[in-house]
Amino acid sequence: MNKRQTAVQMDKNLNRREFIKTTAATTAGVATIASGITLTTYANVASENPVTNEKRWGMLIDTNKLTETDIDDMIDACQEEQGWGSEILSTGDQKSGWIKKIKVKDTATDRISNLALMCQHCEEPPCVDVCPTNASMKREDGIVLVDKHLCIGCRYCMMACPYDARSFVHEELTDQREHMPRGKGTVESCTMCVHKVDKGEQPACVEAVDSDAVIFGDLYDSNSKINQTLKKIQSAQIRADLNLNTAVRYSGI
Amino acid sequence: MNRWLMVLFSLMTTTVFAHTDSDSHANLGDRATELKEAGESKNIHPDLTEIRIMHPDFMMHKRDKTLRQGVRTKRNSLKACVNCHSSTDKNDEYIPINQQGQFCSTCHQKVGTSLDCFSCHRSTPKEDL
Ligand code: SF4
Ligand code: SF4
Repeated sequence: MNKRQTAVQMDKNLNRREFIKTTAATTAGVATIASGITLTTYANVASENPVTNEKRWGMLIDTNKLTETDIDDMIDACQEEQGWGSEILSTGDQKSGWIKKIKVKDTATDRISNLALMCQHCEEPPCVDVCPTNASMKREDGIVLVDKHLCIGCRYCMMACPYDARSFVHEELTDQREHMPRGKGTVESCTMCVHKVDKGEQPACVEAVDSDAVIFGDLYDSNSKINQTLKKIQSAQIRADLNLNTAVRYSGI
Repeated sequence: MNRWLMVLFSLMTTTVFAHTDSDSHANLGDRATELKEAGESKNIHPDLTEIRIMHPDFMMHKRDKTLRQGVRTKRNSLKACVNCHSSTDKNDEYIPINQQGQFCSTCHQKVGTSLDCFSCHRSTPKEDL
């Protein structure tokens, strides 16, 4: 992993964004809670305005703090929130997996870290590049989604994803979650709980972890905890060599 | 392409009108029936002809706004349609809205247009409604 390159790239982006941010008026209420860290609150109503690229949602996962039980809790929370995982006819690789527990071993030292791996919400997502129908898409605020209205189930995006983050639904489903349409013949993956984020809430898997091993927030907001933590500590992207500039970052690996 | 769409449209609308020439619908759904009886339906669908003909366009527009731009208002949201137009059976359980005899399928069957919303979308209101 090329950490230095990651850091430089991140910095460049933050600076550019900070510039844009200072020139744009902000409508959210901001409260200072501790030494420069601010808590941004949003009214819990649906916004009439489209999301913009003044924000970029991201996550920082601290693998030193994240226990294996935490990861299991994250997976359970995701299944419960989004309604995947109870497919009865799908077997083996056909099963959906939006978030997975991954063990990585440093071959030189035999040190093992456990990761929660989901869609990394790349700034340059390969799944979007390869999609023939424009179904695989990135929102202005950096969240990568599948527009199932347009998905033809070709699965190119599954091949293109370096993180194996996407699943294909192999069977007919009923009783989906109201906010999460899912159906046979389409591809799906972590939505960064976009339905919650749009309401000003945190993703379900982040809420499921008691410690601050997983931080969610706006990468561009210099007052956000995630931005400040990323400035202070060593963090990495998985497969940083691909230059995808992921929104999910890891520390302690 | 557009010409054929127009032909299809006019065919569809004439059949819809033939089907619902009085202002009634075979199965309006529980909540929608209540609202209609309370005289509220005009506040939701001011023009019945418009919603009958244009609902696919409204929903198409809304789906792009919601999914691609994060605009999650209730207006023209499929959830809101399902919430009002679903019926319950004698055990008080919701019947999927696309099942035979239910709100969506009665018209769609009549005019022979298939309905694919509910292979992905939830076809009943959320449990705790
Ligand atoms: S499976 Fe769907 S989202 Fe993926 S590349 Fe094909 S059409 Fe696009
Ligand atoms: S952000 Fe939401 S969809 Fe993504 S892994 Fe976490 S719980 Fe699942």
